[in-house]
Amino acid sequence: MTQAEWGELSTVLFWPTTLLLYLGAMLASMYAHAFTSVARVDAHEPVAGRRGQRIATGLATLGVLTHLFHLVARSLGSGGRVPWGNMFEYSSVTAFIVVAAGLVIFQWRLRKPQIMSMLLLGAILTMGIALLVYTDPGPLVPILNSHWLKIHVAAIVLAAGVFTTAFVFNALHLLRDTAERRVAAARSPAGSTVGAAYAGDLLEDEDEFTEAVPERDAVEDGVLGDDLEDDRAYGLALRAAINPRALFLGSWVAAATMSWVWLDLGRFLGVNTVFALAALVAWWFLPHLPSAATLDALTYRTIAFGFPIWTFAVLAGAVWAEQSWGRYWGWDPKETSAFLTWVGYAGYLHARATRGFKGRTASILGLGAYWIMLFTYLAVNLVVTGLHSYAGVS
Amino acid sequence: MWPSPAPVAFAIVSVTDARRDESDSAEPPQANPPIRRGRAPRSPLAAAALMAWRWLTRMRTALYLLGVLGFLSLVATVVPQAPNVPATVSAWRLGDEGPGPVVVGLIDAIGGFDVYGSALFLALLVLLFTSLTACLLPRYRAWWRVVTRSQPPRTRHVGHHDHVATLTTELTADEVDGRIRTVLADRRYRLRAADDDLPKQVAAERGLALREGGSLLFHTSFYVLLVGIVLGLLLGFEGDVAVVEGDAFADTTISYSDVGAGRWWDQADHAGFTLTLDQFEVDWFRDPRFGGTPTVFESTVTISEPDGATWTDTVGGNDPLVVDNMRIHQLAWGYAPRIVVEVDGEVVHDAHVMLVSTDAGVFQGAVKAPAADPDVGFDVLLWPYAPVDETTGTPVPTGAPWADAPLLVGVAYRGDLGLDSPQRFDTLDKTNLEQTGGAQLRPGAVVDLGDGVVISFPELRRWVGFQVSSKPTLPLLFIGGVLVLVGLVPAIYAWRRRVWAVLETDAAGGHTLITIAGRAFQRPQAFDHEFPAIVKAIRDATDADPSPTPVAASSRPVAVSRNQQDTS
Repeated sequence: MTQAEWGELSTVLFWPTTLLLYLGAMLASMYAHAFTSVARVDAHEPVAGRRGQRIATGLATLGVLTHLFHLVARSLGSGGRVPWGNMFEYSSVTAFIVVAAGLVIFQWRLRKPQIMSMLLLGAILTMGIALLVYTDPGPLVPILNSHWLKIHVAAIVLAAGVFTTAFVFNALHLLRDTAERRVAAARSPAGSTVGAAYAGDLLEDEDEFTEAVPERDAVEDGVLGDDLEDDRAYGLALRAAINPRALFLGSWVAAATMSWVWLDLGRFLGVNTVFALAALVAWWFLPHLPSAATLDALTYRTIAFGFPIWTFAVLAGAVWAEQSWGRYWGWDPKETSAFLTWVGYAGYLHARATRGFKGRTASILGLGAYWIMLFTYLAVNLVVTGLHSYAGVS
Repeated sequence: MWPSPAPVAFAIVSVTDARRDESDSAEPPQANPPIRRGRAPRSPLAAAALMAWRWLTRMRTALYLLGVLGFLSLVATVVPQAPNVPATVSAWRLGDEGPGPVVVGLIDAIGGFDVYGSALFLALLVLLFTSLTACLLPRYRAWWRVVTRSQPPRTRHVGHHDHVATLTTELTADEVDGRIRTVLADRRYRLRAADDDLPKQVAAERGLALREGGSLLFHTSFYVLLVGIVLGLLLGFEGDVAVVEGDAFADTTISYSDVGAGRWWDQADHAGFTLTLDQFEVDWFRDPRFGGTPTVFESTVTISEPDGATWTDTVGGNDPLVVDNMRIHQLAWGYAPRIVVEVDGEVVHDAHVMLVSTDAGVFQGAVKAPAADPDVGFDVLLWPYAPVDETTGTPVPTGAPWADAPLLVGVAYRGDLGLDSPQRFDTLDKTNLEQTGGAQLRPGAVVDLGDGVVISFPELRRWVGFQVSSKPTLPLLFIGGVLVLVGLVPAIYAWRRRVWAVLETDAAGGHTLITIAGRAFQRPQAFDHEFPAIVKAIRDATDADPSPTPVAASSRPVAVSRNQQDTS
């Protein structure tokens, strides 16, 4: 096959092949968990649920394979270089890492298949971003053609994949946590009304809610939840505790803080709406998510895994900058915001170890850190001019 | 303020009161070392100072400081910075670009055009490092105490831990005690010395010194980086120089423009070599699909050292050249046409004029000939690739950078160049100049512009911008970077856990009942795997059987809420 044919093949493998496989896997996984409670420890597993889960895993595995094949074809289509040389490729590898890590670590090792659908959702959104910055396969500028491309960029992209996974957990944690608090406040024997629970949530003080914790933990672990009806009611209460319109609007605005970077009204509206719809999907899936505490632990572990990789990547970037530009650090916009991302995640890790910041505050810091990372990636490449502005987007 | 788990509190307690710590084993890790409070200060001033000090040394404060530093950096990402892009900053200030005078005034007020040089940034850094120092010093001491003196505490309620298992064996309690100690020591657990006057119990701990030590190393490495940066600024040198192919420059301070020399940099520190640019090679993919992506970008240079040694080497994009202590980077390039200007038969300008590339693909510069009277100046534009259109017969400028059909356009001016005041080398100050004509030239062309002015373009060369620098602290910075990682990994991944084994002798049956308990302070999932392995190892080592009559406490299900614990 010629180089151009490999390039075309890689594009077809990305879209529609891999994207549709992930979409199918996500829907199957959601079906399995939402309609058949396949994740329950006490194993009332209907056949349909098991089959749905199996189909989801199969599709996701197949998707990972076609994605891998896409990356190989992309590499061959660009003259044999590593397939992470421009924004499209970074996003593609990031999505690949999210799904592969999701399958290997979270589904098979930690046995939490129900979050797979949410990770697939995150990966699909990332692939959507990749399509928005699509570039045809091509050679690299010589300044990028260094061993450091393999090291620095690979580490950055790996860390970005890990942080994207963490972001999915982080956002779900905040959502589920809010819902659990509201349900707990409404159900607490102190007899607070729903309105008071909302007010309490705004004037948040963690200690106020500690007495509610056993209840939600217990439900998650299936101790109180032996009664499926009660479990179902709790799930519905969780969903009812979040106002979908407010969530949609909030997510839309949150996405808007990032999507302006395309300086294109159509993309601005489209990206915001897709992101807000994804938030609604997560809201609908709320009863089937792991407990807030589990999601919090997952967020922490994922970020703690990604942080040293990001640190290494930034340090490797400094070594490369010294070699290539004659200075190890120049406060180039990209360097600054990569450093800022590092500070953001360092802040998250420190907040986790600080009383009073633990929990929601830490989670919000984590979201902020991911926002900075996306800013580093999108805004600095697309809007701000600097030495890193050669990511091949026209 | 920095994430210190229990060590400090625990270390202090274990030294002062060996009995009391039994109950402490179930306490959650304490985030901060206790502040030792002396006598109440007498004057209100001292009290305020103490309060300020305590505020500064809280982790919360450090997070706020980091937050403000982060915000300032974000400002610096969006707002142009004077040291990096001075032209853009002056354009913002003049109102030619940017958000308008009100916002610019606001940015100027907080020093937003030079964030990293601003007093605010420096003050925050100093505060952060002070805070870091104040928190690290007691932690070093506590860590040292943990490493040298600490002992894991005994447990009072062995059945109340997250993980409990019971075994029975025919061996005596003393034999069992010894074997359990061997098993745990092999797994690199730190063991508590036997307590003679208390019931037999083995207490062991692992991961505390490593996790805290990693965290300390991680934070300490920032001092290494700081020292490396500051010393680098004081001892270093950096200068830029532009050389036309065939020309040379000598490594002395006066050769360079934009010299940045540290306070402790000395003239004598220059390596004193001479660099001749033999050739500069640059080429591109000509395929329009790739938009002129470069393929080669490399200078061939000859270095002559003061001791007479001479050699030829290359300097490339990712490949700096090191001569003694000086590092030579190739950073910029452009075209340098030789332009000869004659006025009334007399040569007033004959030099290679360095042209700078612009976004539009055209290279731009200026000829300044004050030797003529009145002065002659040219605005020079060069399109490297302007082939002749076959139908119209005129050159068509393209944006392509390869010099296959160079077309030079000179616009002539006469008057006063105003060279008394400083100005850029590549633009004319046209306040006292008058445009008199212009010409299009191919290489080798000679054009008479009238008025006695003749311009010719005999050849086209290229120039290369080198940066020559001396950075004596690079190795130190590299070590600092390595230490960041070496400290970070155990600080995040090392995890602290305790294991106890309580031994009871069953007088009637003549065997020993072993109750093993465990608790992980971090990563409970990992401990879910380790604890059963330890139990199995102890079972194998003591020929024990699982206890047929488990103690009451251990029948409790293994920690329902285990996974909900903090896994930090």
